[in-house]
Amino acid sequence: MPEPLLKAERIVKVYLDGTVALRGVDFEIRPGEIQGLLGENGAGKTTLTKMISGLLPPTSGRLLLGGVPVRLHSPKDALTCGIGMVHQHFALVANFTALENIALGTGRPADQALRASIEELMERTGLGVPLDTPVENLAVGERQRVEILKVLSRAVRVLILDEPTSVLTPVETEELFNFLRRLKEEEGVGIVFITHKLREVLEITDRVTVLRRGEVVGEVMTRETSAKELARMMVGAEFRARGRRPVELMTEIPVEERRVGAERAREPALVVEDLHVPADSGGEAVKGISFELYPGEILGIAGVEGNGQTELVEAICGLREGKGSVRLRGREILGLPPLELYRLGLAHIPEDRWKYGLILSFTVAENAILGRQRSPRFLGRLAMLKWGEVFAHVRELIERFSIQAPGREAPAKSLSGGNQQKLIVGRELSQEPEVVIAAQPTRGLDIGAAEYIRDILLEMRDAGKAILLVSADLDEVLELSDRVAFMYVGTFTAITTPAEVDRETAGLYMGGMKG
Amino acid sequence: MTLDHFWSILFLSLHAMVPITLTAAGEVVGERAGLFNIGLEGILLLSAFTGALGAEAGGWPLGLLVGIGTGAVVGLFFGLINAYWKGNQLITGVGINLFALGFVAFGLRALGTPAFHDVPRDVRLPAIQTPVGGLSPIVFLALVMPFAIHWFLNRTRAGLWVRAVGENPEAADVAGVPVELVRLLATTFGAALAGLAGAYMSISWMGAVTKEMAAGRGFIALATVVFSGLRPILTLAGGFIFGFFDSLATWIANIPGVKEAIPWQFVSMIPYIVTLLVVTGVIGRVRFPKALGVPYRRE
Amino acid sequence: MKRVYDTLRSVAESILAAIIGLVVAGLILKAWGYSPISAYIALFEASFKDLYGFSGALANATPLILTALTFAVAARAGLFNIGAEGQMYLGALAAVAASLFRLPPVLHLLVALAFAGAAGALWALVPSGLRATRGVSEVISTIMFNWISRFLAFWLVANVLVDPYRAEKTITVLPPSRFPTLVRGTDLSYAIFLAVAVALLVYFLLRYTVTGYEMRAAGANPDAARYGGVRSAKVIVLVFLLGGITAGLAGATQSLGRPPSYAVFSGLPKISNLGFDGIGVAMIGRNHPLGIIFAAIFYGGLQSGARVMQLFAGIPLEMVRMVQGVIVLALALPELLRIFRGFRRRRVELGGER
Repeated sequence: MPEPLLKAERIVKVYLDGTVALRGVDFEIRPGEIQGLLGENGAGKTTLTKMISGLLPPTSGRLLLGGVPVRLHSPKDALTCGIGMVHQHFALVANFTALENIALGTGRPADQALRASIEELMERTGLGVPLDTPVENLAVGERQRVEILKVLSRAVRVLILDEPTSVLTPVETEELFNFLRRLKEEEGVGIVFITHKLREVLEITDRVTVLRRGEVVGEVMTRETSAKELARMMVGAEFRARGRRPVELMTEIPVEERRVGAERAREPALVVEDLHVPADSGGEAVKGISFELYPGEILGIAGVEGNGQTELVEAICGLREGKGSVRLRGREILGLPPLELYRLGLAHIPEDRWKYGLILSFTVAENAILGRQRSPRFLGRLAMLKWGEVFAHVRELIERFSIQAPGREAPAKSLSGGNQQKLIVGRELSQEPEVVIAAQPTRGLDIGAAEYIRDILLEMRDAGKAILLVSADLDEVLELSDRVAFMYVGTFTAITTPAEVDRETAGLYMGGMKG
Repeated sequence: MTLDHFWSILFLSLHAMVPITLTAAGEVVGERAGLFNIGLEGILLLSAFTGALGAEAGGWPLGLLVGIGTGAVVGLFFGLINAYWKGNQLITGVGINLFALGFVAFGLRALGTPAFHDVPRDVRLPAIQTPVGGLSPIVFLALVMPFAIHWFLNRTRAGLWVRAVGENPEAADVAGVPVELVRLLATTFGAALAGLAGAYMSISWMGAVTKEMAAGRGFIALATVVFSGLRPILTLAGGFIFGFFDSLATWIANIPGVKEAIPWQFVSMIPYIVTLLVVTGVIGRVRFPKALGVPYRRE
Repeated sequence: MKRVYDTLRSVAESILAAIIGLVVAGLILKAWGYSPISAYIALFEASFKDLYGFSGALANATPLILTALTFAVAARAGLFNIGAEGQMYLGALAAVAASLFRLPPVLHLLVALAFAGAAGALWALVPSGLRATRGVSEVISTIMFNWISRFLAFWLVANVLVDPYRAEKTITVLPPSRFPTLVRGTDLSYAIFLAVAVALLVYFLLRYTVTGYEMRAAGANPDAARYGGVRSAKVIVLVFLLGGITAGLAGATQSLGRPPSYAVFSGLPKISNLGFDGIGVAMIGRNHPLGIIFAAIFYGGLQSGARVMQLFAGIPLEMVRMVQGVIVLALALPELLRIFRGFRRRRVELGGER
């Protein structure tokens, strides 16, 4: 076995806010080998690679380069040591040509000498890109090649690719794989391939390291493993014990029967048909999704983030354009403005609470009526807001959703994350909507607040609301949902019930295996 | 229209073009680096005044130097406040304009020439004599400068850095470019060119200093930057268009017959109306740097 | 609690900025060979010591409150409206135009004010429309409109509203449409009440009405405002119209309520820069209607004191605009107080190393 190019030993990373991202990880990169790094959101993949590429210092542990301990203070240091990384979000200047971007990355002038050496490199590696077109006019796959060329022009021995296929078409993916194989065989480069897609791990890697919650849970040779085994390692076999009553007991009707009953007896509250939503970076983020949402059920959408969930939710909620059909109680609502949807009974708990959910400099009271400022309850004569009513409303919210706030006149930014979220949830649910779209409703909250929000969702469900729950937390989706859909690259790989999937299957669906 | 008229209009236009083209070309560099300076109007006024004082003290070479230096110092302040201390660029610009308005009016009154400060003929920048009239040497500088800036931005490594920090400071930072320093130097350079433009107005073109001599040219230069789509060479075209309408106004107002038919006040409005129309026409087709006006903070 | 703290911090920042402005301008005075200390003593004694001087401060504050509101309302909605200057010229002239006919006393004043407000609002309409529909930067459009209205005002003074007996000024405003003088022997008129009332009204609008709520939401977080059903085009037009009205009224307070002239002169000497000074006042008042009242009195006091200072110490009165410029520059820093705290900490650290 060849000597490893780079070795990470007992790496621990604790972020400033106390989050433990890595709990003593060992990791090796060997020459002429493609090493897969597999894990869910928050498993620590990105943190680990940021440390190897000089973007973050480890809290403890060390890096050995060819057996010698090194400290990397910046990406430049890492490149000097022959370690290059291609980030998921490209570090490219959009209106620069490929040549200019490479020049910027290498610190060389964009002259004929650089052009000649890049052309030679393109010849050797087979990675062709037009050098004189602004990269914003290139296809995403070509932009990725520019990033790779930028790194390779520095003669790296270690190449790290973070979710490189998430933006590629199948053909482009195939081209990338061919290139990687050549790079490994002909140049002896050590390659780290980060992904959550099982099929790709099996296809391209030689060895796989699986991370879960900051720990290495397995390291296997690719040819000796299977998708099932990897999926089990990735998502874990055990359920978190939270001491909650099982969902089934709360309504006394078995989930399965309720679902079947709902479908047969009632009209769906929300029908989505063949919805297509464009992505910001070009192409489609949502590629023709259809589903029905019934009163009295929670439909969970599980999946690794960035598979089109955000775009799906924003299109349904009137914040983004989409094609297809979305019907609320039989009425077409696609393209209606958010406030209109709100009046029709669709509530939206937004994924990004600082972008859409709250106006941080506004008071708790002012935030409590955002979107309802013109409802008859709060709007008096002469365009005056009825502050008495507003305050009464805040008092109700604070009581009903046990929001801890210094006062109704305190700015929203003075509340903790959990209480900010309770304020949003309370505001959105207080007008008795028929359909609730909850996007990542517990993200970033402490356990108590997250539990509280989950209880509210169940309560709403039991009160007959139709709830669409989008969450990257698989446990949360499986625990709360009556039905669950798995989203992967803009489509559903499966719609089923939590009872019908074990975690292994769930991992397969999230990794792109069709159900 | 006779040939004489043509030459006279051309020369008037060229002279009126200079401050706008120089200021706009400099501001292109600043905006490409991500800083938006609405204090150019104030810089023009300030350096017109200090440039005149410099010329009176040590002849036109010193005058030009003092003008450029004044612009550079103001630009340095603007860059410090905005590149390093992440201040509000619009408010900083307003502050510069108010300060200039106060400082120049104060200085003019302190010198005992509150309404009109004449720059003596012998310290003015000598014009190049041609068969059809005098032409300021700065005109040639203004004709060359946009090409030089074009070359700098597109052919040098420093120019690459300037464009990178305005478009994607994160990517530049990752590549080891000192984002704040590049922004500071770019905006200082732009302000220094505005300083040169101001000195040109007082010691070459108009030969005088008044409180209102900037007359919105700093803002017209901003509009020219928009018109040019941040391409330096097009600031020549933009500057010439506004220079033409500016001088057309002066010219028309002196033609017998026209003077009576159209009040001079309406003729004087033309450059501003043209500016507005042009900006309205090109807006939406212009691609501004993505990080223009946005302070850069790591993480 | 938090709210009180925020308010105190804003006030402290404004005071600190004012001190910086006075000190920097003092250094410039010194460099020019004047004595800044005696200059400032003369200045502040003149405007804040007795009723007579303070009346001058209030008289100067009157238009500044109104033009500052133009900027502040827009700033609260996230817009940078520097068009008060031009709107104010036309307001002043529209108020004069009301004296082309005769009406009973109180009604005449009201009609003149309505003219002024309408003129300002009309002049604000095009820039707001360009911004709302085409996305044209209001910074450029309002400045261009300022210059256009300046020449329009020159023309109106010289040709339309010209005094048949004195070509350098407009007709004199008829007594029934004037603001009565408040303190005899000063140029303080009842117009100050109009300015304060409008400021209170704007305060009320921003704080208590749904319109103000939506304006503030659009300024504080445009994404959340959109999510909350606020239409940005509507907010832009409303904000500009409101600002145009207050700027127009600012002009009216000068032609209807500034003894002894009650007219607009050619070249607009008395009213020039009131709009730009209003921007500085708005910033010192932190874009808050109540803060603006105090800031305007402070700056109005500087202006009237400067006139006395110029008379006795021979220092040009324009220095106060210099002071204002520096104050605004200081306030451009996001956290002025923190920079000072940072300086202090760094010095302590250096001391520790030695």
